[in-house]
Amino acid sequence: MTAETTVPRYGEDIYSTAAILDPYPHYAELRALGPVVWLSRQKVYAVVRYAECKQVLLDDETFISGDGVALNPVANRLGRGTTLNSDGEEHALKRSVLAHRLTPKAVRKMSAEVQDKAEQIVDAAITKQWVDGVDDLATALPTSIVPDLVGWPEEGRENLLRWAGATFDSLGPLNRHAVTATKAAGEMLAFSRRVVRDRSVLPGSMGADVLAAADENRIERSQCPALMIDYLAPSLDTTIGAISGALHLFSQHPDQWASVRANPDLLSNAVNEIVRYTSPLRAFSRRAVREVEVGGVVIPRDARVLVVYASANRDPRQWHDPDSFDITRDASGQLGFGSGVHGCAGQGLARLETQTLLRVLAERVERIEPAGTPSRAVNNVIHRFDRLPLRLVTAERIAS
Amino acid sequence: MKIDVDWDRCEGHGICAEQAPEVFSLDDEGELHHAYDGADIPDEFAAGARSAVGVCPVAALREQT
Repeated sequence: MTAETTVPRYGEDIYSTAAILDPYPHYAELRALGPVVWLSRQKVYAVVRYAECKQVLLDDETFISGDGVALNPVANRLGRGTTLNSDGEEHALKRSVLAHRLTPKAVRKMSAEVQDKAEQIVDAAITKQWVDGVDDLATALPTSIVPDLVGWPEEGRENLLRWAGATFDSLGPLNRHAVTATKAAGEMLAFSRRVVRDRSVLPGSMGADVLAAADENRIERSQCPALMIDYLAPSLDTTIGAISGALHLFSQHPDQWASVRANPDLLSNAVNEIVRYTSPLRAFSRRAVREVEVGGVVIPRDARVLVVYASANRDPRQWHDPDSFDITRDASGQLGFGSGVHGCAGQGLARLETQTLLRVLAERVERIEPAGTPSRAVNNVIHRFDRLPLRLVTAERIAS
Repeated sequence: MKIDVDWDRCEGHGICAEQAPEVFSLDDEGELHHAYDGADIPDEFAAGARSAVGVCPVAALREQT
């Protein structure tokens, strides 16, 4: 497969470690080249501007997920059977088994529990004063909620974060990160198979719903392990990325933190802006099942197309001054959760967790101060901090 | 203009209600209500309604053509 001569080409590796840590200069160059750019290293068409990303996401009949959304065939084979890697009616059926547990309506019932957990986490962090925003705040909330919701047994939980991160990492190109990660993603799938076989999911959980759907012959039993992973793997790193990104942003923009403290209602839209700005998930791919034109570029049948959400979220054709963080802008059209039939099913829960943690912090913490050099995780798909040293300053501390 | 809601797709994320509160709202149960279901949306609400179509995270809203 070769690109049309008219398609701009980009020869640099946007999945090198340096580019993974700081992808935005590459995305800016790609957007300047055109709406669709041939990546010589990965041999895919990258869709990098907002309008065309949205066009591809909404046209799920042309750009299918059923052959995988990763950049390498190993992960696309491992991911068979997931909701993520399915199309049409099969996708709708799988999504219906679990997505109803994650709608805003359903997660609203969890709001008291999320509030309780957030208060405990924030109180513990305030006592420490100097904290790691990733471990002490961003990770603590989703890991105290999601495994119970999905119904993962207590045994094996110590591996969850590593497995979930690796599952994303494995969806990149077959670089050395993906090779290591594929092994861990395989371990997660093997564990999930055992959980399904032993029926060791927690009663009343989403995992129990999956088994019930198989018992009622709505889905095949062989699909259960993949469905469990579908909802567990994406609900940790992504939210951790959004919350830690928010903490970093508010530590850099104390004026906007003061606005949130004065008016917590700003948080609803602020979450959209946080997801736009941080784009915890860089990109997923699709396969074009027919020849199709996108932004004036003819994409041949069977080509793999990379939808770069993180680039769309910084496209100056869509956003005024896209590289500035502004919680008052209307960021509701951000593509950080994807869009269309594959739009993130867990976004209601992600919004609830992020908003609740930030609201509890805003009630109690006057200033979030940077307290050291942060570092980023190296992951092909997830863009997030690995370490974020912060100091939480309360009103009492300022007074004393 | 008219807007159709694909009720099978709608998951009640409520982003449309923030764009066009006169047209879309969530009730106390979290169910979406479409004030102009099957009816013409008044011109003064049309811009908000169009942007609601654009931002629905699961593409459940469609403008009738």
